Order: sequence, then C-alpha cells, then structure tokens
Amino acid sequence: MIKQAINFFISLKTAIWLLCLLIVMLLAGAVIMPANEEFQSIHSVPMLEWINEQPLGLTWWLWSSIGLLSLLTANTLFCSIDSIIKKRKVTQWLLILSPQIIHIGFLFILLAHLFSSAQGFKGYSAVAEGTALELKDKTILHIKNIRISFDNKGYLSDWAVDAEYIADGKTVKQDSIMPNKPSIYKGLGVYVKDLRAYPEKMVLLELSREPGAVWALIGGILFMIGTIMLIILKWKRDK
Amino acid sequence: MLTAYATLLCYLLGLWKRPALYLGLLTQISYIISRGLELERLPLVGPHDTLTFLSASIVAFSIAFRKPLNAYLYSHTVIAATAAVFTALALFSKQHNAPLPPVLKIIWFELHVVLAFLSYALFGLAAILGFLYLKEKDNLIEGLQYRSILIGYCFFSLSMIFGGIWAYLAWGTYWLWTPKELWTTILWIFYSMYLHARLRQEWMGRPSAIIGISGFAVVLFTYLGVSLLMKSSHAF
Repeated sequence: MIKQAINFFISLKTAIWLLCLLIVMLLAGAVIMPANEEFQSIHSVPMLEWINEQPLGLTWWLWSSIGLLSLLTANTLFCSIDSIIKKRKVTQWLLILSPQIIHIGFLFILLAHLFSSAQGFKGYSAVAEGTALELKDKTILHIKNIRISFDNKGYLSDWAVDAEYIADGKTVKQDSIMPNKPSIYKGLGVYVKDLRAYPEKMVLLELSREPGAVWALIGGILFMIGTIMLIILKWKRDK
Repeated sequence: MLTAYATLLCYLLGLWKRPALYLGLLTQISYIISRGLELERLPLVGPHDTLTFLSASIVAFSIAFRKPLNAYLYSHTVIAATAAVFTALALFSKQHNAPLPPVLKIIWFELHVVLAFLSYALFGLAAILGFLYLKEKDNLIEGLQYRSILIGYCFFSLSMIFGGIWAYLAWGTYWLWTPKELWTTILWIFYSMYLHARLRQEWMGRPSAIIGISGFAVVLFTYLGVSLLMKSSHAF
C-alpha cells in the first residue's frame, strides 16, 4: 500500500491529472466569483479566515483547489526527489537539476501563499492632513503633509505623503509615502489607497502585513533561474 | 493612424506575398514608436495599443522560425491573417491617450506588461504552428511549437513575478483575487500542464498540438474576455 502511494506521488501522470483538475476547479471559481458579491470582501482579511466564514456553496472550488495543491505539493516533492536519485549519475546533471530548481521555486511560492493566507493583516483608515492615527503597538502615525500635483489637463501627475512615527512622545522615524514607495515600519506596510485634495486634504491609508512576500520573491527568483537554465541547456543540447 | 491603416493593408497583401508581411511589421513598429513618442510613455495601455503590440510581436517572432516554415508556402498567409485580424481589431478600438497615473510609472509595471504580451504572441505563434502541424504532420513543426510555448511560458512566468513585485510596492500585496489574476492562474497552469504532458511519449505529436492550439483560446479570454466582459481593476 505504501509502495502504491509512493508510485502515485512520483508519477508524472498524477501531476498532469492534478493540473487538469485544478484548471477545472479554477474555471468553476471563474464563474462563481463574479456572480457573488461575497467575494468583494475576500481581500479584507487573510484568505483562510475569509474562506472559513463563507458558505461552502460559494467556496467549494477554493477548498478543492487547496486540496489539489496540497496533493500537487506532495507530487512535486516526491517526483523531484525520485528524479534526482534515479538520474544522479548522468553527465548532464545541470539539465536534470534545472527542472527541480523550478519545482523548488514553485513550492516556495505555494508556501508564500499559505503564510499570507494564514497570517496576513490589512486595515484601512482615512486620515486628514495634520492628523494622526494610533497603530496596534501604540505608536502614533502622524500625517504631516499631503502633496498632490496635477498636470495642465487636470490629471493627477504625482503625490507624496510625509509621515512621522511617534513612540513615547519621541519621533522614531520620518518617511515619505510615494507611488510604489510605501512606508515600512516594524514589518507593517503603510500604503496610500486614495487621496482627496478638496475640501480638505485627506488620504485613505492601507496598513498591511504580508508575511509571504519574501518567500514569494525567493520562489520567483528560483523559478526563473531554473527556467532560464533549462532553456539555455536545451538550446545548447539541440545545437 | 495612417501608418496603422497602412500596416493593415500590408498584412492583407501579406496573405499572398511574404515581403508585404515584413513591410507590415516595419510600418507597425514605426507606428508603435510614434505612439510612444506622442504619449511620452510605453504605448501599452488599452485595447488599441496592446492589440497593435501583440500583432507586431507575432510577426516578429515568426521571423525566428522562417527557415523551417519556408517549406510551407502558405505559412506566411496564416501569420499574415492572424496579424491582420489583431491589427483590424486595434483599429476599431479606442486609443488610450491619457497620461499614466503615478502608480503605473515604474519599471516593474512596464516589464510586467511587455513580457505578458510577448508571451501572448509566442502562445499565438504556437497555436499557428499547431495548426500547421495538424495539416502537415511534420514533427519539426511540433518541436517548434514546443519551443515557442516554453519560451512564452518563461516570459509569462516572469511577467507574473514582476507583476507581483509591482503590486506589492503599489498595494501591499503580491496577489489579488480578481478575475484577471484568476484567469492568469488558469492560463499558467494550462501551459504547465502542456509542458508536463509533452514529456510523455503518448502526448507528443497530435495531442500536444491540440493542447497548444487550445491554450491560445485561454490566452484570448484572459487578455480580451476578462477585460471586456468582467469588472476588474486589472483591465487591459
């Protein structure tokens, strides 16, 4: 029975069937998601928390996808280890290794999604220029200045929000939040979701913690290194 | 716009004469450059510019395969027809001439979009090669389809990674559950499935050619269907 299970998990056929089933589940989600307004709130809390609060009728495809991804994770691990063991004596070992680097990258990305789905945090607050909000650790985030500029056609051309973090009555950090440049304080990201210039300058801030981000980046880098290596090695071999 | 119409005319002539196809590519590239200079940014926002870029990319990538494809005199006809369809769709689409909002002015966004459309072009070329294979049963053509998909998959994966980096910097998360991202995942898994299936002997040849052709249908829905039919912050 154990041997059957191992054979199941090291099989390429298993991977192909799991990928096919995953496509079917996600296609179901592609129909269900736009048709149900409950999905509007999917980003407001970590995904695993959200999915537990929703009826199964809406989320069965997500649960199934998570299950299939778990099986795919096991399949990837078993298959990669089996491949390396069986082909360890070949001369073109880089050609054998590069798909496994791709697989490791893929697994890191899955791990990233798991961390973010379980432990992420997102909060919103509208703050006027010159006012402040209190963070969870009692630090005060003071919005000193909101700078908004428009071009001669009235389009928003640039903006910046000057902020300072105050703890125990002392300024511990000063920062400027700009497009694609958030303020990061003790692992918490502060982003500007929206701005208003009139009648008074205000910003809608998003405070977020994305624990999976670093793992996703590592996974992405490994995935690309493996893919590029594979393409170069295949091209050299075919020459 | 005259250059864009001239491009369409060249592609239509390219249905018969191969040099017209390449002349169409040159005029289309010059049109893309002129749009970029006029807008003072990368012209890759909105249906008009993206369809134009896609059309040019398909023809440009086909040049890499011209030697083996020269054996099939009508291959340029199929490529010209594809390019003409996308160019015509671009001509009927509204141009997006507004300046980019500040959040889109970053290299990660530009790389994300460019690589996405280059990958779509390679997947489109793979679909054309798939049709040619089904007609001619030439294993060389099927091999070219595989290469086109493999490189397209590499570009598409890079596009997703750069998109994630940009999204994290812009909005605090590298992933959002919107229709575009969901269909992007479906597309990525589809081609992952193709690449794995083709490793098995029984899936090489006709089955993988058909999967490669079907993949482009998924590409078109991900690119055009989602943007036109669904509400998403990630349109075009």
